[in-house]
Amino acid sequence: MKKFHYGLFFICLAVASCVEQQNFDQFDDLEIIPTVEASILYVESPESVINDASGAVWYIQTFNFDAFNEQFFADNVLDGVITYELENTTSKPLEILFEYLDDGGNILDSEFFSLDPAPTAVLRRETAYGTPTGRNLDIIRNTSGVRVNASNLGDTTSISILPDPMVIFRSSGKFRLRLK
Amino acid sequence: MKLWKPLLTVIFLGSGFLYAQNRELLYDCTEIPQALLLNPGMETSFTWYAGIPLASGIYAQAGSSGITVNDLFANDGVDFNQKVRTRALNGMTKRDEFGATVQIDIFNGGFRSRSNPELFYSFGVYFETNTILYWPEDLAYLAFEGNADQLGRRFDLGHLKTRGEGLTVFHFGINKVIDRNLTVGARVKVYSGIYDFHSSTNSGYFLTEEGQNNLLSNTLVADMQLRTSGIEGIRAILDDEASGTVGGVLTKRALLGGDLGLGVDLGFTYHLDPQTVITGSLLDLGFVYHSGDVKGYSLQGRATTEGVEAILPDAFDDANSDFWQDLVDEIEAQLPFEDNNTSYLTFRPTQLYGSIRYNFGEPVNEDMDCDCDIGVTDADVRTPFRNATGLQLHAVNRPRGPQAALTAFYLRRFGNFLSLKGTYTVDKFSMSNLGLGMNLQAGPVNFYVLANNLLGYRNLADSRYASFQIGLNILSWGANR
Repeated sequence: MKKFHYGLFFICLAVASCVEQQNFDQFDDLEIIPTVEASILYVESPESVINDASGAVWYIQTFNFDAFNEQFFADNVLDGVITYELENTTSKPLEILFEYLDDGGNILDSEFFSLDPAPTAVLRRETAYGTPTGRNLDIIRNTSGVRVNASNLGDTTSISILPDPMVIFRSSGKFRLRLK
Repeated sequence: MKLWKPLLTVIFLGSGFLYAQNRELLYDCTEIPQALLLNPGMETSFTWYAGIPLASGIYAQAGSSGITVNDLFANDGVDFNQKVRTRALNGMTKRDEFGATVQIDIFNGGFRSRSNPELFYSFGVYFETNTILYWPEDLAYLAFEGNADQLGRRFDLGHLKTRGEGLTVFHFGINKVIDRNLTVGARVKVYSGIYDFHSSTNSGYFLTEEGQNNLLSNTLVADMQLRTSGIEGIRAILDDEASGTVGGVLTKRALLGGDLGLGVDLGFTYHLDPQTVITGSLLDLGFVYHSGDVKGYSLQGRATTEGVEAILPDAFDDANSDFWQDLVDEIEAQLPFEDNNTSYLTFRPTQLYGSIRYNFGEPVNEDMDCDCDIGVTDADVRTPFRNATGLQLHAVNRPRGPQAALTAFYLRRFGNFLSLKGTYTVDKFSMSNLGLGMNLQAGPVNFYVLANNLLGYRNLADSRYASFQIGLNILSWGANR
């Protein structure tokens, strides 16, 4: 009889164990959307380079830039912001055109900057892509190169009185990616 | 590749969730032959025993220290992403872990020497799998939140620590009664490694800060390594890159055709006085040399980038170069990701058990004295008392250092056919771990069932820890001396 009681006790213990209802389908709702940021392009030029140029356009350069149209990035990017920061300590008014190019060299988008001669405040601009009020995200997805076109609207002899005069172009991107 | 992912899932998750390996209910249960695997120096009074193949010892342990299944998957109407963020991302640290141990006796037996009854031999083969994954706190944050607006924060790559293995163990043990008070034992083990993965010595960081030239600077300093053995061959079969079957590969590697290793267990039992006993054992003092089907991956170096840079007038000289590709090449040179086939050595997770037991009450066989002269030899083993209580200590070597557990227990014997053991264990996983074990002896048939963390059985999904053991043996007591 004792054996029976002990056996019954363990059976009750086993039956008493239970698992509250779980909903593993919730995993489908999981969203992993990190926001990543990194620098894109940095260009600096001393005033002497501008003065030495033969024409108004003192610098034009196309940069291959495959970060945006890498398969992983292009497939998962949701939206983002590109930040530009330009600083002109030369004695000249400058214009800088920043263009986004696709594989075929076609212009997808552009940013135009007009910089007054020194002393001038740092020009900072943020351009959104993929947001309701932003530009089309496909511009980013299809970008495989950028072109910088810099023009001098002033003379080619003057030198700024500021130390080490130059023009600096800085840029960075901050994007949301859907990993799941 | 579709088959490959589930296999990885099974290795990481299906094999369980905890690695603590503490088997406090079985330890020093002298009526259960499999307790010899936890202390080869345990007092034994068997003449012989034979485990039922594949059923003499089945043990599984699972849990996590920081979160439960119920925390995430309860049908509570709370947004799942909110639960993940509050309970996992913000609720767990790098010291929290998921792990598992599964051990299955393939066969197990033992016999007492006829010529020298102080000696008891035991032997067998068992399969064991262990998995541990520490919560990669910083890397999880990086994956979920990214590096944006985290200037100056170093994401520690050392948070990635994981280890897993599956192996077959062939063992042979000798248990010797030295005198009336002391029993010692040793067990030699030959390990046949089936699979192993190992990434536990990582260091480095990922840092985003203001750039010197450009707006941002990203720095990656890494010394990371993943070593695997026995996995690449299976992957190749599943991806149709190699012939053969997964079953064939696993069987071959399980039967000494994989990585080989050697180990030893040591243990003792000593009577301080007729009622007080101390025991101790050191298990899996050994290693496995991984030399077959080895694949290692490493990421070592330091790289900092502020994007593509063109500094005039120097950049005029490189006007036709690919600035982007140059940048990628430079980073890859500074921070090479490489693979190799270098053999490696892993040490087994060594375990330490110790206990002090106080026996009291009437002897099980009431017509004998508690300290009477019967035993494996003429006067070596004592008749057990009805009751025993005491403390047990367990420690295991883990990737983040030793981990200990303390157990208080009470053992009650009911005649010669039944004994019950209750335990209360404190460790990093739980402060409310109550366990209960039953050992039933019906003639020559021995059956035991041991279950841990009983309070968790109210809702297993909300338990951070659960383990059970069952086993079936045929054994003979005392006659052949």
